[in-house]
Amino acid sequence: MADTDDTPVQTENQTRDLGFNVIVGFIVLIAGWLLLMPWMPNLAKHSLERFHLRTPSFAIWAGQFPIPAMYNFANQYKIDEFPPGFVMMVLDENWRYANHFPARVITFFAGRHDFLASKNDRWFTLRSSYRGQMLESKFHLEARAEGGYDLIRIDGDGESL
Amino acid sequence: MTNITQTIVRKLKPADINRPLAAYRLVQFAILISLFWKWRFFLEANLIYATIPVGDPFFPDWLRSIDTLRIAFWTLAAATAISLTSPMNWLRQLCSWLGLFAAGVMCIHQGSYNDVTFVTIWWCCLWSVWLAHRLGKCHRENLVRRAAFLSRLIISLILLGGAAGKWTAEYWSGEVLYDIYFVDRDFWIFNHLREKYAADELQEIAKWYSRQVVLVETVSGIGLWALPARWAAALGVIILSGVVVLSNWYLVSVIACLLGLACAGFFVPRRSR
Repeated sequence: MADTDDTPVQTENQTRDLGFNVIVGFIVLIAGWLLLMPWMPNLAKHSLERFHLRTPSFAIWAGQFPIPAMYNFANQYKIDEFPPGFVMMVLDENWRYANHFPARVITFFAGRHDFLASKNDRWFTLRSSYRGQMLESKFHLEARAEGGYDLIRIDGDGESL
Repeated sequence: MTNITQTIVRKLKPADINRPLAAYRLVQFAILISLFWKWRFFLEANLIYATIPVGDPFFPDWLRSIDTLRIAFWTLAAATAISLTSPMNWLRQLCSWLGLFAAGVMCIHQGSYNDVTFVTIWWCCLWSVWLAHRLGKCHRENLVRRAAFLSRLIISLILLGGAAGKWTAEYWSGEVLYDIYFVDRDFWIFNHLREKYAADELQEIAKWYSRQVVLVETVSGIGLWALPARWAAALGVIILSGVVVLSNWYLVSVIACLLGLACAGFFVPRRSR
């Protein structure tokens, strides 16, 4: 079957390629954000908050999805069977690193199965650092009687940005 | 030369290939590989999400719903398959937009936002939307040059995104990748290194492995887009394949569509001397 645009060269109108210019402009904007992030603490702060799902509004968080962030920041997490402060000395050794969006450790695929299949409450702590900035977030995963969990943020004031 | 011979030769000349359309179709095919590479993984995720829902008020209800995830996934798959095979440009345009929208939903859904597969697919869909609207409207050689430029610009951006977040002491020391890959990751290179080296030697290897990652992503993120099309395509394929071979087979889902995008550079014809 012939393609509808299988015709030979058609009228040249490259100069009016608005879509191309918009995409290039968009890429330059994001590249600028990325290149400035190490030198502007506020940009890094926004990105750390994005990783912990702590951006002030969901719309602003969602609007950042095109910014690529593979294996960004030093993200650590630990999962406890007890509330913060309880038998803390014993479990403090359990920190592991996660590649990106560390909050996914408890919600994404295998993590959800590994940590939440027990149907017991869990406490989850995240810590991300980048060039001297550190953000810590705490979550309580409260088991529902009918199955599943409710995620409750217990961040407090332990964050140092 | 007879007329018949001339016709055959003309048909076989590479210049007669619709290069922009071929590049467009290759990228659609690569997107499908990205989408279905982890098919078993998605099937299991589907089951886990259905049996263990996590109510997080940060996400709107519809972006926690497993139904939204299923619809977005299949819309993306169907739209890409139609874009790949359709001979009608209006349908390609429509499906490219649909794919872009569905990929965007997956990038912000609770069950998939962290999977970079959907971010790289979204960028490939954005490229596809632009190209679908230009097919048949521009000089083919100019169009494929622009498509190749845009493709390497996107790949540069994605590599730069990886690099910028690693410009921190924990990556330069190798501490992060040591814990993620070297301690217990079941992958050929890490299994081999664990068998052969002691823990302190592994930490030293992890440091240089991590520095290599940071440097390659930084240099290619900053400079890949500025190379000539075919050089950028070849280098892009080598770097992206290296990411998979030296890290983790699951990354094929993230990288396959970018490999397709990188290959757009091979469709740029050599300039006649």
